[in-house]
Amino acid sequence: MRKTLLLASVAAASLASAAAAADLKVCVSWSNFREERWKTDEAAIKGALDAAGAEYISADAQTSATKQLADVEGMITQGCSALIILAQDSASIGPALDAAEDAGIPVVGYDRMIDDPRAFYLTFDNVEVGRMQAREVLNVMPKGRYVMIKGSPVDPNADFLRGGQQEVLQAAIDAGDITIVGEAYTDDWQPANAQKNMEQILTQTDNGVDAVVASNDGTAGGVVAALSAQGMAGIPVSGQDGDMAALNRVALGTQTVSVWKDSRALGKAAGEIAVALANGTAMDAVEGSAKFSSPSGKELNSVLLKPVPVTKDNLDVVLDAGWISKDTLCAGVTGVAVCE
Amino acid sequence: MNRGHRLLSVAVLSFLAPEPVRAGNETGVLFVDRASALPVRQSYEGEWNHFVGGGLAVLDCNDDGRPDVYAAGGAAPSRLFVNASAKGGEIAFAERPIQPLGAVTGAYPLDVDGDGHLDLVVLRDGPNMILRGEGACRFSSAPPEWTFDGGREWTTSFSATFERGQDWPTLAFGNYVDKTDPQGPFEACDRNYLIRPQGRAFGPRIALEPGFCALSMLVSDWKRNGVPDLRISNDRQYYVRNGREQMWHLEPLAEYTEAEGWPELKLWGMGIASRDITGDGLPEVVLTSMGDQVLQFNEGGGVMRNAPWSVGTYSTVPYKGDDGRPSTGWHAEFGDVDNDGRDDLFIAKGNVDQMPSNAIHDPNNLLIQQPDGTFVERGDAAGVGTMDRARGAALVDLNGDGLLDILVNNRRAPMEVWQNATAGAGHWLALDLSLPGSNRRAVGAIVELRLPDGRVLTRENTIGGGHASGAAVPLHFGLGAYDTAEVRVTWPKGSVSDWAPVHADGVFRVAPGEGEGLTISRLGGAP
Repeated sequence: MRKTLLLASVAAASLASAAAAADLKVCVSWSNFREERWKTDEAAIKGALDAAGAEYISADAQTSATKQLADVEGMITQGCSALIILAQDSASIGPALDAAEDAGIPVVGYDRMIDDPRAFYLTFDNVEVGRMQAREVLNVMPKGRYVMIKGSPVDPNADFLRGGQQEVLQAAIDAGDITIVGEAYTDDWQPANAQKNMEQILTQTDNGVDAVVASNDGTAGGVVAALSAQGMAGIPVSGQDGDMAALNRVALGTQTVSVWKDSRALGKAAGEIAVALANGTAMDAVEGSAKFSSPSGKELNSVLLKPVPVTKDNLDVVLDAGWISKDTLCAGVTGVAVCE
Repeated sequence: MNRGHRLLSVAVLSFLAPEPVRAGNETGVLFVDRASALPVRQSYEGEWNHFVGGGLAVLDCNDDGRPDVYAAGGAAPSRLFVNASAKGGEIAFAERPIQPLGAVTGAYPLDVDGDGHLDLVVLRDGPNMILRGEGACRFSSAPPEWTFDGGREWTTSFSATFERGQDWPTLAFGNYVDKTDPQGPFEACDRNYLIRPQGRAFGPRIALEPGFCALSMLVSDWKRNGVPDLRISNDRQYYVRNGREQMWHLEPLAEYTEAEGWPELKLWGMGIASRDITGDGLPEVVLTSMGDQVLQFNEGGGVMRNAPWSVGTYSTVPYKGDDGRPSTGWHAEFGDVDNDGRDDLFIAKGNVDQMPSNAIHDPNNLLIQQPDGTFVERGDAAGVGTMDRARGAALVDLNGDGLLDILVNNRRAPMEVWQNATAGAGHWLALDLSLPGSNRRAVGAIVELRLPDGRVLTRENTIGGGHASGAAVPLHFGLGAYDTAEVRVTWPKGSVSDWAPVHADGVFRVAPGEGEGLTISRLGGAP
């Protein structure tokens, strides 16, 4: 992550003077700004645009895929130099890309993939998230019976994660060290569904489970609840998102890792890439960009930021960043250095 | 179509997609709570297999001119309520015994055998049933000689049509997840089935594959070329990726393809409402879903185009309460609730059960059409914006006063009855189509009502759509200030009647007359 970000910052710095002169306007289409997390992203985007002297315009689709198309068209008529789109439904965002193309405006697909080569793809590397989850669990449980608790079947990220997990585990599976004894999608990423699936698997295997690779912190919470009910809390469990409750579980020792994606880094990179594209940088010439093959086989220009695996050994990372308070992180925790 | 284009231009001119207008009170649409008219608590209950479904079938089973209702109960009892309302009086119901059936998801009325009594097609998680109407609201199991195969699937949608040359209907059954698939429930949608008649009985089931978890089906002559097709609205929740909204040619049976101009559209499809609202005779459709409720304008030539945001029907999130999460739409139905000559739209809303990505308190929509063709939310002002997990519903005049009342079936909450008490509503009329012999309710007919100002209101007489809910009642029209109109009928076999005058404020039976004429006789309403 650090390296990629550094490169993106360098790109922005070198273009800052040109940007200010060009009177840039970056238009951001949010899918649903009532979701709390995007306010952090917005602040980071604004910060990057301020630094480049670019103006920020935004619209909130309020979860409507149709309103999002109208929002984009409306902002284009206001004179965008670049668009950042957090797609409500990537399956129906095509007309917005048509409109942007007609107006000659570059598009950054933010966080959620827009499966169209006309959009630059910026997100965290979800395959890498999956690798990190499996790697940390494998470190503490190199042999044994594994359960894979996947994300929502309608979310393409769920399969990216699962793919990364498999890459890391494959050798141990081939060697016969690891057996996958249960695997389930989690409808809607809902903790209650993850708990239900985990309970079923525990019943089917007669509690014969040594480790759980769960795809995010919400599902990890459901898994830990199911394990606790059987007196099994403490076996390795992965997660992601840096949820407050999950980081506390990491400190408590009931969760092994939460892979943290700092949305401030994502927002900053989006602002910088949008400015670079607006200034005429070709998509494949954006600093740090690489080709990304989408599941449908399209080649997208992308920057995939590297996330940070947070374990008991580096909890200071989230504390130092101000992501979580010490009280929240350390509630009920004893014997962990950062909590002393 | 013209109106569609006008709206599109409005959308393009306006910056940042204006909010649909919600203020104002130029119409006094008002409903009064008559849930107490039901003698027992009726609700749609059950586990996952009853997260969807919860239909209502509306039919006059005792020929007294007052529509009765059969309500699906899921794991709870399904019941028949006979309408005991006096004309213009308070809505009243009495329970009438009917064969107890478990795991009912929905029901649709139609006259299968042409005996003049409406029968009930009952959809279930398990074998579907036909209950044969015997008059006086008595029903019995369909006789074995009908050779009806109800299957064993988890059925959640239905439509029917009378194909050319057949005396009996062709039935389409839409199924949800194949619960026997060990790899399910995701990407495990069951196949659907078509059942064609063989004389005065039913033939074997014909598979409609692939199936994509069908939650609504409607046979409609949507291109107005005399060739009805079968539309299927499908739930992306379980087909996940490789599915779509479907349209099927019935003869020969074949799914429309992208190559012939049927674009791929993915929705969490739950319900279909169909009505011409632009005045060109071609039916628009509303497809309920999660988030955007999609209105598509019928542009002719087999082209459906999504309406612009500014039309006001998307109703993506709740209009009241502080829940910014997307809505979940189920039954949708057009009807003119204030009789101003413009069809309005009711959408039943409610969370699947406890799905955290979607609104938990999700009010039903009552969208009133404005003179410019846009729609304005009046659910709250009209009193019907309840927050329960609504599923099936019906817009139907229950007490013979010419105003459409509303029935709503709720999951895990009592059924609702809303009596329309709108003051100053316009004139109206209702037409009960009648044919001799088979297809006695003239399913597939197209009725046009020409107002004195030249506007033509077009209505297709269909069976299907909604969410597991259907009604076989006289076709209701609002006339606004006009107390006369002219009617023309295109009968199911294609013959077109002459225009015939008809008076307002009554229910009329309309049958073929001499030559291209119509025989119109008053059934009820003001003298």
